[in-house]
Amino acid sequence: MEKQIGFTVRRIVVAGVLSAIAILLGFTRWGYIPVPTPAGNATIMHIPVIIGSIMEGWPVGTVIGFIFGLSSFVGADVPFFKDPLVSVLPRLFIGIVSWLVFVGIRRWNVYAAIGVAGFMGSATNTILVLGMAVLRGYLAFGPALVTAVANGLPEAIVSVLITLAVVSAWMRIDRKGRRSKLDVD
Amino acid sequence: MAGDFELTRNITIGQYLPTGSVIHRMDPRLKLLAAALWILSISLCHTYLGNVAGLCVCLALFALARIPLSYGLSGLKPAIPFILILAILQLLFYGNGYGPSGQVYFHWGILRITSASVRVVVVSTLRFVEIIFAVSVLTLSTSITELTHGVEGLLRPLGRMKVPVHAFALIVTIAVRFVPTFAMEMEKMMKAQASRGAEFGTGSWWNIARRTRDVFPLIIPLFNTALVRAEELALAMEARGYVPGQARTAYRRYRAGGRDIVMFLAGMALSAALVFAPFPF
Amino acid sequence: MGESNRGDILTVSNLHHTYLQGTPLAQPALFGVNLVIPAGSCVAIIGHTGSGKSTLIQHFNGLLRPQMGEVVVNGARLSNPQVDIRAIRQQVGLVFQNPEDQIFERLVGDDIAYGPLKQGIPLSEVVQRAKWAMGVVGLDFDEMKNRSTFAMSGGEKRKVALAGVLVLRPQILVLDEPTAGLDPRSRRDLLRRIRDLNRSEGLTVVFVSHNMEEVAYLADTVYVLAAGHIAFHGTPRELFGALDERPDLQVGAPPGVEILRALHSRGYHVDTTRFTVPEVAEEVAAAASGQRGPAAAAEPPSGDLSAPPTAWEGPAHRREPDGRHPHAHAEDRGDAHGR
Repeated sequence: MEKQIGFTVRRIVVAGVLSAIAILLGFTRWGYIPVPTPAGNATIMHIPVIIGSIMEGWPVGTVIGFIFGLSSFVGADVPFFKDPLVSVLPRLFIGIVSWLVFVGIRRWNVYAAIGVAGFMGSATNTILVLGMAVLRGYLAFGPALVTAVANGLPEAIVSVLITLAVVSAWMRIDRKGRRSKLDVD
Repeated sequence: MAGDFELTRNITIGQYLPTGSVIHRMDPRLKLLAAALWILSISLCHTYLGNVAGLCVCLALFALARIPLSYGLSGLKPAIPFILILAILQLLFYGNGYGPSGQVYFHWGILRITSASVRVVVVSTLRFVEIIFAVSVLTLSTSITELTHGVEGLLRPLGRMKVPVHAFALIVTIAVRFVPTFAMEMEKMMKAQASRGAEFGTGSWWNIARRTRDVFPLIIPLFNTALVRAEELALAMEARGYVPGQARTAYRRYRAGGRDIVMFLAGMALSAALVFAPFPF
Repeated sequence: MGESNRGDILTVSNLHHTYLQGTPLAQPALFGVNLVIPAGSCVAIIGHTGSGKSTLIQHFNGLLRPQMGEVVVNGARLSNPQVDIRAIRQQVGLVFQNPEDQIFERLVGDDIAYGPLKQGIPLSEVVQRAKWAMGVVGLDFDEMKNRSTFAMSGGEKRKVALAGVLVLRPQILVLDEPTAGLDPRSRRDLLRRIRDLNRSEGLTVVFVSHNMEEVAYLADTVYVLAAGHIAFHGTPRELFGALDERPDLQVGAPPGVEILRALHSRGYHVDTTRFTVPEVAEEVAAAASGQRGPAAAAEPPSGDLSAPPTAWEGPAHRREPDGRHPHAHAEDRGDAHGR
């Protein structure tokens, strides 16, 4: 089969199931990992966007980002997410950024490329959402900057760990010579 | 403790309350468009009176849709702490440096309360309440299927610009279809891991890596089963001859009738009034 | 109620369970279930989808707590909110359907060691346990511990998942459709290993199954669950003998029993209460050699059952289609484990 561009069946279904995960994580407590941040937890709902982007390209990531944004718009507890310019628009860029980062670093080291894409995708989410909240006048610049660092950094670290674990297992990227904890002698 | 696991059976997403009202029966495309315009005009309205009028319209929508107001209030409840914190922060700090500050009511150190900051607080609080009410009416009166069709219908003009609208609608349908499946999967996974000695949330609170690894036994199988399902679904769809982008007939067609158009025009008029009417204060 | 007798490792008495109790969506799943699992026995729970099997077995290790009635594991009452649930989950190893889905570590050894390490058991002890657990499921410790979990076959993955529960050294192993979705070869292998766990390692085994062949092969006691209550309780022999009077159970007979019945209806004097593969083979051989042929023998039944006796000289187990060890289980299926 010739190389297909655009939405193949595979890309459609991958985007569909990953969007389902994003919605599920957004509507349950499973989307939050309790870590030390001002909010008391790191969210992981944007991670399906990053994973979709790395695996199937930026259009898939953008669609998942859009659906993730819509679900956070509909189900938001945080009032400024009821503004689609804050909840939807910034999420369209998570996929593009993580894909660009992944493709840029891939030729050098795939493992590192996945990790950095996980970090940058998460940072994009933090920076653009908070930036938009500032632009729209919901947050002052100072508190937004503090939140971006104090909440965004742990979230980016969590994102790196999960993205690496999921994508490297799925793409079967294995580092040679790994030894189990049981390999004690 | 054991009750922890039963959480998924209670998930309602985009909860739908069929009452058969005129709002429910409205063409989903026009309803969505009217709702979008209405929310946009709420976020553009800066006057006290305008927002009070907007709130009245939102309350009228509940009556028109025959949805008890308690549903709207329950949507509002989880947002109250955020609204309060935001209101206090804005009240105390907004007066510094933002635009014409108007009359100063109170000033102490960096705290400065002005007529402008009071206005921002009151208006943005009202705005949030209005938007939450409007979105509640939309989701309570529109089933997920209708919503999907509505989005697809509205995006159709983009199809001419080579934007894959059909693919998008299919992705949304697959996503909505799989949310309950994955919720069950997740519940089973929690039970299965607990059965082999898993304990969640045991790592030190400050150890981010450890805390993240704590959720690996749930998150990684969730992604893996999702991707496996995607492969199976792709195979099944190709086996049934699905070709992306090919024209297909719809099982159900929506046609906007006269009543839909009248209601849409009424919505547009209200939205326009909210933005352009010269509210005195 | 709920007193456990000596020798009963798990008892369930008058257990009720309703999902979403107290909401308009309440959905009753169990109504007054009574069940006794003697230590060292191998118990099958069968029933249709939605009959409450999964709900029932989730009570065995405290994933669900009794809303009404009682579950007693080794003397501990699970209705008591103070009960040490970690200890219960260690004693009752529950293996869900398709347990390979729960593998998440990259390396086989790490995944198997996950539970005990989480429980704070010292590494040297975990290594010993993992060696045993991998051995009993048929995975070579030295060869497999550093193997990637995602480069394995379905049968191997299921063994890893099973070892991940056995490594907790449970006294009761509860399996929900342990062989569902496996190819015939892995299925037979797994069944034999479960049987060995019960017969040689002395583990009490409870399993849910739809497959009557498996029930005939493994179980010494059967409970049939229908619409949330126990519709039948007895030995496999009693169950397969009662199927004619109890169409309400909607249980099919294993193929061996069907064969004996077919012979019986054609006039052969075979014992239709025998059901294990070697027993059936013996009956078929006897029928074929003419010892129990149709009394009148006026007309041998048509079809392939009328093969000439000379073709059947060898011992019955040579004809066994699936390579199990008929002698072994012909002998030890006896009263050693059951009633």
